Amino acid sequence: MRCVWMVCVLCLAPAVAAILCKPDVTDGYKVRLSIKTALGDDAYEWSKSELFLFRAVLAFAVQRKTNNVNYDVSNILVCDETERVSFWFVVTTPDNTSELLPKLVVENAIRENRHRINSAFLLTDQTLDFVGINPTLAAPIEYDTPPWLIVFGVVMGVVCAGIVALLVSTFLQKKRAKKPSADPVDDEDGSGSIAGNGILCESIGDKDGTYNQGFTDDDRFTKL
Amino acid sequence: MEKESRPSWDNPMQFILACVSYAVGLGNVWRFPYLCQMHGGGGFMIPYLVMLVLEGIPLFCMELAIGQKMRLGSIGAWSAISPYLGGVGMASVVTSLYLCLYYNVINAWSFWYLFHSFQAVLPWSQCPVNTNRTAFVEECEVASPTQYFFFRQTLNISPSIQQSGGVHVGQALCLLLAWIIVYLFIVRGVKSTGKVVYFTATFPYLVLLVYLIRGVTLHGALNGVKYMFTPKLEQLANPQTWINAATQIFFSLGLGFGSLIAFSSYNHHNNDFEKQAIAVSLINSGTSIFASVVTFSIYGFKATYNYENCLERMKLLLINTFDLAEESIHKQNISFWISELNQTHPDQFGLISSRVEHCSLEQELDTAVEGTGLAFIVYSEAITNMPAAQLWSVLYFFMLLLLGMGSMLGNVMAIITPLRDFKPLARSFSNETLNGLVCAFCLLLGIGFTTPAGNYWFTMFNEYGATFSLLFIVLIEVFTVSYIYGLKRFEKDVEDMLGRRPGWYWKVMWAAVSPLLLISLFIFYIINYIQGGVPTYQAWDKEKGRLVVTEYPVFGQAFIGVLLVSSVSCIPLAALYAFCTRHQREVPVRKGSARSRTSSV
Repeated sequence: MRCVWMVCVLCLAPAVAAILCKPDVTDGYKVRLSIKTALGDDAYEWSKSELFLFRAVLAFAVQRKTNNVNYDVSNILVCDETERVSFWFVVTTPDNTSELLPKLVVENAIRENRHRINSAFLLTDQTLDFVGINPTLAAPIEYDTPPWLIVFGVVMGVVCAGIVALLVSTFLQKKRAKKPSADPVDDEDGSGSIAGNGILCESIGDKDGTYNQGFTDDDRFTKL
Repeated sequence: MEKESRPSWDNPMQFILACVSYAVGLGNVWRFPYLCQMHGGGGFMIPYLVMLVLEGIPLFCMELAIGQKMRLGSIGAWSAISPYLGGVGMASVVTSLYLCLYYNVINAWSFWYLFHSFQAVLPWSQCPVNTNRTAFVEECEVASPTQYFFFRQTLNISPSIQQSGGVHVGQALCLLLAWIIVYLFIVRGVKSTGKVVYFTATFPYLVLLVYLIRGVTLHGALNGVKYMFTPKLEQLANPQTWINAATQIFFSLGLGFGSLIAFSSYNHHNNDFEKQAIAVSLINSGTSIFASVVTFSIYGFKATYNYENCLERMKLLLINTFDLAEESIHKQNISFWISELNQTHPDQFGLISSRVEHCSLEQELDTAVEGTGLAFIVYSEAITNMPAAQLWSVLYFFMLLLLGMGSMLGNVMAIITPLRDFKPLARSFSNETLNGLVCAFCLLLGIGFTTPAGNYWFTMFNEYGATFSLLFIVLIEVFTVSYIYGLKRFEKDVEDMLGRRPGWYWKVMWAAVSPLLLISLFIFYIINYIQGGVPTYQAWDKEKGRLVVTEYPVFGQAFIGVLLVSSVSCIPLAALYAFCTRHQREVPVRKGSARSRTSSV
């Protein structure tokens, strides 16, 4: 009698387990792995051992979350495996194997240990996808001084130094030029006072000082 | 007061490099590739080169001749040619002033992007996260990270031109830096500018070469280059193609601003400007073509990248929905799978059909962008996908800066040279002070472009500030030289300077072809303005994450009118003034010379 009862239980156990884990179960999650996308040529084949690793890592995550309550690999039930490498899983409590751990606890366990889970499979948040658990985005890097301001400061400093140097050198040049008395006829830098017949061209022009050749009659000068 | 001779370039090479630096600007990089794409790829070369020969080279040569002959800035030169036409020079100065105001804002943006390239992760490559770290900032999700960085973090753009706000401090600082650098380049006039142009004219070519090599070695670049060079000759029948070619040549060479007159006024009397004009025009066009090869290889890379991303997304969608093995779907059979799955699992497929995109490389290549959108959004997006993105980013924005700064030199010289020729000003202020005052004035007015609505004002200035008035100015210029001053007298002046008369090509172009072309362009512009209805601009809608076409409000339209009228009206007003003053005063008639008084400047 007892043997029959035990056989019945043994037969029912997987059935019970099957009922606990099914697609679209409330307290479970669907997992998708994109190993070939992530690793390319170094991709490993998905096998029973990999699935075992997954269950073990998940048990570790849940155990960590629930303050070291003893979770075992057998508490993680997996079903509906596909070619995609996707499957559903549920987590049963260690005390009562027909009771499932609430969704929220599972979610928090996964969130907190996401990095460890990803590393176990050499995957990332995008390639190891827990459908429904969005990865927390990386915190933006905070700088004390924004780097652009530093570069700006450097460039501005150099440019201002350049201007000051130029202005000072111009000022000094002018001072030096003023010191010796300037000889109006003897121009050292050849300002080109053109003189014809001893008359400076400037005196021919009007008070604005430019001789407008645009309106010159050619007859004034000898034709070649 | 000691009489100084006019300063001059140390050697003719400086003059050529100054002209090249001025003419080769941002338009070569962001306008020409767009036109090429719009008007039939390789086929666009035909109208472009035709227009170069018919209008570009002759007009360029004419402006150089005037400056070299008169040895004065634009106002003085045109007053000397005809006392009634000093207004042409004034119109040039006003237009140059408008250009200076808004053009340096582009340099400010280049600085902003350049400084932001010195980070481990380029800030425009990813969206910032929102406060509780659950998702990205909404505006960034709807648009793209590069658009978000440009419109929100760089410009902090408002939804329309009416709404504005405070000055963007970062932008204002960059604008200040840009103006200080311009001042540094021009502080001593031609002497300092002459040294700077060795760098600003040549370094962009080096960067373009590096980018060319990088560009053609990118994955998918050849798609873009092939697309560009496949000529679509039917576009030649479209008159818009020819009009765009003419306007591109015209604006690319920077005619009518008075910069070329200013530059050549510092030349020696016998400088061979004819050869130099041909050289600079050809270099300018060659650079446009060179830059468009680079642009198209980057387009090709970006289009291929987006296309492959699209395919990846579709593959992921299919294998996730139907739980297929990863390696079963790849690029080649994805369309087969889509149709297959549609037939075999129609209801499941129906659920995801709204997310299924048709990925097309041609569609990606077809998206043509020009202007600031190309330079700051499309290009920076392409750069983020390159390996060693920071290096390429720094190099690229540095090149943009050099191109922009080189053009700014010409623009500022176009304002300063006529001012210096005005003797009362030249006597009261030294060279450095006058230059500093001009820069400070432009900086203060330019701060207005760093407000949230600033980009809309920028677009208004860009589209209306210089285009129409330049056409008018150059039309009057060529007409004056050919008919009022007289082609014969001009020929004699050229012979005086070069020792040979201009050939028949120049005479035909100056007297007939270029004026006709300019008149037709002018008429076309007027018709376009009238037919276009209310002028519109593109406003950034942050909910939709894209630009929407909006009409200008009344004050905006009024301001457009002011922009157009203020520069163009200088010509008739100055003529009227000269006419009135001439008849009021006794004109001293000197025997043997037909002197004229310069109209007041």
